[in-house]
Amino acid sequence: MSGTTVAKPLARRASRGGSRRRKRTVEQIIFTTLNTTFLLALAALMIYPLLNTLAISLNDGNDAVRGGIGIWPRVFSLQNYNVVFNMTTIYQAFFMSVLKTVVVVATNLVFTSMLAYALSRNEFIFRRSITLIFVLTMYFDAGLIPNYLLIRDLGMLNSFQAYWVPTIISAFNLIVLRTYMKSIPDEIIESARIDGAGEFRMWWQVVMPLCKPALAVVGLFVAVGSWNSWLDTLLYNSGDQALSTLQYELQKLLASSMNAGMNSVAATGSAQSGGQVTTPIALRSTITVVAAVPILFVYPFLQKHFVSGLVIGSVKG
Amino acid sequence: MTDATVSTPVTATGPEPALEPASSSRAQKRKARKKAAKDPKRKITWDRVWAQRALLAMAVPLLLYQILFKYVPVYGWAIAFQHYKPGRGSIWNQQWVGLENFYNLFTGVNGERFRQVVVNTMGQSVLTLIVGTFGAIVLALLLNEVKNLPFKRILQNITYMPHFLSWVIVASLASVALSLPSSGGFINQGLMSLHLVDEPVLFLTEPNFFWEIVAGTSLWKELGWNTILYLAAITAIDPGLYEAAEVDGAGRYRKMFSITLPSIRPTIVVLLIINSGWILSTNFELPYFLGNGLVSEKSETIDVFVLRYGYQLGNYSLAVVAGIFKTLVAVILVGSANLAAKRLNQETLV
Amino acid sequence: MKRNLRLGGLRRAGRQLTVAATAMALIALPACTSDESADDSETLSPSNPTTLSVWITSAQQAPAPDNKITKLLKDKLGVTLTYEIVTPDNEDQKIGVMLAGGQYPDLIGTGDLKQRFLEGGALRRLDDMLKTGHYPDLAAHVKDDIKRMSYSGDEVDKGLYIFPNYNRFYGDITGGTYYGPAFWIQKRVLADAGYPDLSNMTLDRYFQLISDYKAKHPQTNGAPTVGFEILASKGREWGMTNPPALLAGSPNNGGVIVDSNNHASIYADKDVAKNFYKVLNQQYNAGLVDRESFTLTFDQYTAKLATGAVLGMHDQGWNFGTATQSLQSAGKDENTYVPLMPVYDGVTPWYADRAVMNINQGFGVSVSSKQPKKALKFLDTMLSEEWQKTLSWGIAGEDYQVGADGVFSRTDEQRKNYKDITWRSHNRLDALLDMLPKHQGKFSDGNAYSPDDQPAEFYATLSDYDKNFMAKYGNKKTWLDFMNKVPDNPKYYPAWNIKLSDDANQVNQQLTDTSVQNLPKIIAGNPADFDKNWQAYVDSLHKVDIKVYEDAVNAGIQNRLANW
Repeated sequence: MSGTTVAKPLARRASRGGSRRRKRTVEQIIFTTLNTTFLLALAALMIYPLLNTLAISLNDGNDAVRGGIGIWPRVFSLQNYNVVFNMTTIYQAFFMSVLKTVVVVATNLVFTSMLAYALSRNEFIFRRSITLIFVLTMYFDAGLIPNYLLIRDLGMLNSFQAYWVPTIISAFNLIVLRTYMKSIPDEIIESARIDGAGEFRMWWQVVMPLCKPALAVVGLFVAVGSWNSWLDTLLYNSGDQALSTLQYELQKLLASSMNAGMNSVAATGSAQSGGQVTTPIALRSTITVVAAVPILFVYPFLQKHFVSGLVIGSVKG
Repeated sequence: MTDATVSTPVTATGPEPALEPASSSRAQKRKARKKAAKDPKRKITWDRVWAQRALLAMAVPLLLYQILFKYVPVYGWAIAFQHYKPGRGSIWNQQWVGLENFYNLFTGVNGERFRQVVVNTMGQSVLTLIVGTFGAIVLALLLNEVKNLPFKRILQNITYMPHFLSWVIVASLASVALSLPSSGGFINQGLMSLHLVDEPVLFLTEPNFFWEIVAGTSLWKELGWNTILYLAAITAIDPGLYEAAEVDGAGRYRKMFSITLPSIRPTIVVLLIINSGWILSTNFELPYFLGNGLVSEKSETIDVFVLRYGYQLGNYSLAVVAGIFKTLVAVILVGSANLAAKRLNQETLV
Repeated sequence: MKRNLRLGGLRRAGRQLTVAATAMALIALPACTSDESADDSETLSPSNPTTLSVWITSAQQAPAPDNKITKLLKDKLGVTLTYEIVTPDNEDQKIGVMLAGGQYPDLIGTGDLKQRFLEGGALRRLDDMLKTGHYPDLAAHVKDDIKRMSYSGDEVDKGLYIFPNYNRFYGDITGGTYYGPAFWIQKRVLADAGYPDLSNMTLDRYFQLISDYKAKHPQTNGAPTVGFEILASKGREWGMTNPPALLAGSPNNGGVIVDSNNHASIYADKDVAKNFYKVLNQQYNAGLVDRESFTLTFDQYTAKLATGAVLGMHDQGWNFGTATQSLQSAGKDENTYVPLMPVYDGVTPWYADRAVMNINQGFGVSVSSKQPKKALKFLDTMLSEEWQKTLSWGIAGEDYQVGADGVFSRTDEQRKNYKDITWRSHNRLDALLDMLPKHQGKFSDGNAYSPDDQPAEFYATLSDYDKNFMAKYGNKKTWLDFMNKVPDNPKYYPAWNIKLSDDANQVNQQLTDTSVQNLPKIIAGNPADFDKNWQAYVDSLHKVDIKVYEDAVNAGIQNRLANW
């Protein structure tokens, strides 16, 4: 196979039309139509909850309580976003979330892929026992307290270290990467070895570039997991406001809004004096949007690695 | 596609799974590998350890790390054998009760209920796993057939988005969708306008629908997300394989079933083995928020039960006991699944 | 049980006692470098700045950095607070690890009904410190109720550890809104029926009012009118299980009714319950009870009320504030609710009760605090009337006005600010106040503790519709006027917050689960099967060891009768 495979899909498509029999073309059209229709219907079903959440977040809070909002706000208002962005803690928390996510993703990719490489080598003597030790960790949890005491004894309470040190590797991602690496033809490794590459160079310079799709997937999983986690903030770092994260701050805001909702009868006033500026239902949607939008941008960025079809052979050529 | 295709030069540089659509050559290869495993050369000797020092340097520090962060804290399981009260401070300063907590869970006043809860957990979980895996593979295959790249990208972006909604929101939306037409229940609306039912159905009051509702809702939320891994696996397939197949006159479906599916089979198998261990660790929120008195015999899962009788009552020991039970079941299930995969000459986890 | 105290805590507690005994002597000494002497005096002043770490369980927001009361604390007292605020949802996890870790901030504001901080030895016993006389406001606060406020269990020394954060009242209790349980009915139903007399309300009359109105108005704003909604959403099943006791004239004691001999027994399996669910079963089949009641999430329940289509429901006032507010902002005052008190024949209603002190919830001083005296002095200072007004009403002239007669009032703008959570984070210390002991009731100048409790403030915020509605009922001025006159609480009251053994708690949970699983089937069942379904329910209740639960509650009642 030649080194020009990356350009091949285009070439292939161009060459296809003429060589096709007519019957095939009709079938092609029917299939494409059906497939497109089905996928569009599916997309509509999938995007509905999002548009609904977005619509509620852009709706007046007191009106949103009534329900029945579809994909368009009934009483448009930016009040909910005002409440969220007026929270003074949110900006630093956002920065902390980004920093944490970047560090966790970087460390995870390096360490997980390094171990995955070792475990993907068939000749590695402890391959099976080490894999087993990691695999088992997917199925048990020691519990909050011993984990907390460990972090405390390592002196990592109320420190940034508590965010990334305990999570530099995950067994699930390890298996994903290892499975992918195993699919790399031995020939590539062998030829690199003949060229005199050591294991570290092999991992970093030969295998890593070949694993981009899998690394993109693992990076995405880790990024989303880290971005969405708040339990680590609560348990280890809630004593230091500077270390607070977006998800944790938003969670607290929602709780305070729900509390205000419960007690709002206290101010049972007339319509003239105005209701609370937002309601828990509207705020929950707003928070969902605010928390999700930054991480949603990660996907299109990584997507190119596994949509266009990376071709392993091309690297070799 | 015929075996002849496999032996074309094109595949020689392709990824390993792509080499394996035909079973005969794969079996041969496995056999060869097994033979190698029994080779005296595989024995662990100091020479071999030294020769592999670089691989060991990669693996051992991370192994120690994992042992420190995952295995060492497992001493916390001691709580399962105690009448644990956080107020007593240290975990070693507690009242030891032997296996009492285990007896309580399985044979105590709630024993019968706990068994039902285990059945519900498995039912919901297995159904979710089957529907979810099948759905994700089908979607991955269909997306793979979309040749218009921007359209494909947009579709993917849309389908994976529901993953970012919290379960609370999803449960709420599902509950509305399943309600009466006057409350916004569009499913009933649809069924009635199609004259499939005369009267709206209160889906959430019907115990026999509950597992399906949980599986369906999970599918809705996680379908696109679950597809990502399969899409990544598909990218590893050598396009040369498809070209060769086309030359041989293979149609779209032939390619799908003879190239794409076999190529992502290792991924499917590995994910199924991994997931088999999580059969008792279901999603908590769906059964919790959608369940109600009328369907409780089908809705209540282990996690809901543990919340009620563990955390809410300050009975931490019960939660740990349930956790140990889940781990044991998981290890047995994963072990069996792995063994089965090995017997069937499939990709294995360990 | 002293052995349960961690060693460090024990040592420090012992040392502290000595220090307290010689407190007077120490005050005169100049500051030196050791830990204890950093706490040399109980005075808080800007010249001697103090930083206190405060841990709070609260759903309230942390103050913004530029919060004006924060600044005031610094300017007037030299006090800087560092907050760690944990929402009630996260409390269980955090308390668990904190106790395991054994390091605490100076002040712990706990909302934990399970008393984990207290029994875990995280809190300092405060009786001796209060006796020094340096904390006059706190001492006066606890004086009459010290027994009730003190810990009486066996895990740590008996004594005072926590200052209850709510419902220790000074003088009359004022207020206009009713937060408690009731059978609520929309105002338009009563208006339509010609403002009928509401005394001697019965279930039959209540449902008759609803059914008459529904027959006349089957639609509300295009949606079908719902007669009666049963609140049964997750975690709020009390909406379905509690009414029998209220119908029987018993105040809210949770799952039990306590008779005149102070003997508690469950009512779930008794006729008072059977009669209620029989009525619900009939009304369900007559189409008056919403068929969807049992499958509604709390959001859906709130949404239904907020559409204005629901004529009545049993609920507690605080639970549907969001819906009420939504209705009001849409100008649908006639669709908001009035509390009614149906009872069985020959029974006096006891729906409204005298608010119960939040024992075990509030601030305590931690055993690891290096400055317990300053921490306690801070609590004491905050309890002074001056600071209480600042924390609750705000700053005079900015957040409220003082009339020529000395009465506090607010403008519409100030009222609006009060409800704005963003404004509040810059201008109030909500989380702190949530946990502080409060001067609820009246201040010595006659003003109510907070704007919400000020009668004039309340009446001023009523809509014309509501004022007119109240006028139709003999010039009532508040919604509380629609409720029973609140009798003095029985000495043991309430039984629902008696701390139970693990076994009793488990039985209680089983009873609740049995009710939650069976009642919907009974209510939604065929009326012909009612007796059969009821019997099945009672049988499953009786499979649970009810006696363990009842005995534990009765032991708690006897204990309180003897000690309170």
